[in-house]
Amino acid sequence: MNRNVRVGAAALAITALGLAGCGRGDAGDGEAAPEEAAAVEEGAASGTIEVWAMGTEGENLGAFTDAFAEENPDVDVQVTAIPWDAAHDKIATAIAGGQTPDVTMIGTTWMGEFAATGALDPTPDLIDGDAFFEGAWESTNVGGTHYGVPWYVETRVLYHRADLESPTDWAGLTAMAADAQAAGAEWGVNLQPGQTGAWQTFMPFAWQAGAEMTNEDGTEFTIDSPEMVEALAYYQSFFTDGLAPTDLPQGSLEPSFMAGDIGAFVSGPWHVGILEELDAAGMADVALSPLPAGEEQASFIGGANLAVFEDSDNRDAAWKLVEWLSRPETQVAWYETVNDLPSVASAWEDPAIADDEYLGVFGEQLETAVAPPAIPTWEEVASVIDTELERLAKAGADPQEVATTIQQQAEAIGTGL
Amino acid sequence: MTAQPALRPGAPAPGRGTPDQPRRIRTRPPLYRRRTRAAWGFALPFVLLFVTFTAGPVLMSLAMAVTDIRSRDLRNPFAVEFVGLENFVAVAQDPMFRKAAANTAYFVLVGVPLTLAVSLAVAVVLNAGITRLKTFFRVGYYMPVVTSIVAVAVVWRFLLHPDQGLLNEVLGWFGIEGPNWLASTTWAMPAMIAMATWRSIGTLIIIFLAGLQGVPTSLHEAAALDGANAWQRFRFITLPTMRPTLLFGAVITGIGYVQFFEEPFVMTQGGPLNSTLSVAFHTYNQFGFGNYGYAAAMSYVLFLAVVVLTLIQFRLLGERDTVRRRRWWHRRPAAVASKEIGR
Repeated sequence: MNRNVRVGAAALAITALGLAGCGRGDAGDGEAAPEEAAAVEEGAASGTIEVWAMGTEGENLGAFTDAFAEENPDVDVQVTAIPWDAAHDKIATAIAGGQTPDVTMIGTTWMGEFAATGALDPTPDLIDGDAFFEGAWESTNVGGTHYGVPWYVETRVLYHRADLESPTDWAGLTAMAADAQAAGAEWGVNLQPGQTGAWQTFMPFAWQAGAEMTNEDGTEFTIDSPEMVEALAYYQSFFTDGLAPTDLPQGSLEPSFMAGDIGAFVSGPWHVGILEELDAAGMADVALSPLPAGEEQASFIGGANLAVFEDSDNRDAAWKLVEWLSRPETQVAWYETVNDLPSVASAWEDPAIADDEYLGVFGEQLETAVAPPAIPTWEEVASVIDTELERLAKAGADPQEVATTIQQQAEAIGTGL
Repeated sequence: MTAQPALRPGAPAPGRGTPDQPRRIRTRPPLYRRRTRAAWGFALPFVLLFVTFTAGPVLMSLAMAVTDIRSRDLRNPFAVEFVGLENFVAVAQDPMFRKAAANTAYFVLVGVPLTLAVSLAVAVVLNAGITRLKTFFRVGYYMPVVTSIVAVAVVWRFLLHPDQGLLNEVLGWFGIEGPNWLASTTWAMPAMIAMATWRSIGTLIIIFLAGLQGVPTSLHEAAALDGANAWQRFRFITLPTMRPTLLFGAVITGIGYVQFFEEPFVMTQGGPLNSTLSVAFHTYNQFGFGNYGYAAAMSYVLFLAVVVLTLIQFRLLGERDTVRRRRWWHRRPAAVASKEIGR
């Protein structure tokens, strides 16, 4: 007993000693003045470049970079494929342990969090930011400094039955959903009623109404605004009017849509493949349109970025690889390899993409697509939005009260900048 | 300190013993020490693993719980502020945590007794009635335990599907319109409890079957001769004899259920409207958001809950007889001695 107490006291003392050495040195590091990026030296890349990539990208990037190795004979690109589920923790662990690769693929919504640790290298002048879609380029902007480049993008459009008129404004979307129901569909439109990722379906409407999540420099939330309330009320109207389901069982969206039981839904480019696989012949009855416009046009832009780590042993070569991957011709070749939509606007002029029957809509939508603010706490704020949207859709919460709640909780979380 | 107390005649001198004592002292310790060394040698692999992978992280998480460490501190984890109990205060004030705590309490208070009752019932039936297909049933009930939760989740989602699900289909035969189980704030939690019960009875049935073997048949026979019916025999013979086994079952089930995580993680993501959000799931989310200090504090609260629950179970189901006997043992010797002296 006595001994346990003594051991416990010793442990506490050690902990206390350890803590005495703690404390944030400065009010904040990595804020205030934008970080300056060092230049990248000229000439061919050399040495080993270690790259982490997730999903299909991870599986195919290794073979794809053979072309880069041909241009730069001294270079050895080593790609490690990591599963999406484990990627966030693996990158976090690598940063904590100081064992980062040279380049990593990063989900756009993680940018703020990882950039705030100071582990990412600011984008050098080698990369031309204007070449990318604006929304995509903004997803790399954390507190005024760009970290990394957008690699591929995705955006949300409206999938609807071809016999329905494609809506141009909010009233049009409501009318379309009502028409679909009048024509026999069980539900006019499917909008995600809360739960993980619902904010990605809702935020386009908020942006269309002119709402902004944060102020210019991302230090304060501006969620509780009349525009946001308007968007929330509009979103809610689909559920209160019985046009959208609140409890669609998992996995029944696609079959119901192809069977004509659901008139429309909002989703990204991957759904073209899913629907084709489900019912290739039925695709004749499916049409894609840009999301309707509110005050302005907007959609959500997602995808993945490429970032170089500050601790990279081979920084210059790493940036050269990133630059090569963001050239329009490489982006087209990459699209042909894994169907990732190019983040570089000029790549969309290539016939391989321009002639595709469905992609045009995505290209058009990308022009106005908006990225969520790249603040370190975004994932947490987004989960608050998901929860509150669920309350809005299922429990009939008041839009104004929902906006206030999101604002309060977001303020409690902080922007982290 | 000033003067040595006078030694009574015949008393051994302090410090040195009788001439033959030192030899005994000298011969004993080496063996003792050798044994101790051997014991430590055997324990070493465990001790090393425990210190590296359990004690270290536990101490570190304790340190994290009293700092404001977040994901942005990953690179210099020592550049954090000491905040004392602030994280714990924040946990207590977090409405989401309270909701999660209420959900977890619901799950544990309904789930643990239900699981114990069902598995005891199955074990008794297996033990008494069915002899030929015993192995088949044991395997059948144990199967869910060894099946991957992901596969289980897929199957259960089919079962609970509002339109095509087996459950609602069966309810339909009796004219009952089943709810949309996983999308209903009322029914999602009962569905979770049902699934958790189904998943964990396997282990308990095996344990209870073993416990039932320890119930002496002679007692049952004697009671039967005295006219006790089956229920009375179960209530007054089987249950009391099984008490240690029941306690073990209750404790391991309780510990598992307080940390209730997998079911909502794969089935509902905590929804609808956070009605299946558990404390462990909330903690997991907070770790995911990079709020390490806060999440660490929350896991200590969960740990405390496990300790408290286990203590309560020991109180309710613990071996009362032993406790009484020990007290009696402590008090008794003096009395016996005096009686003997008196005699």
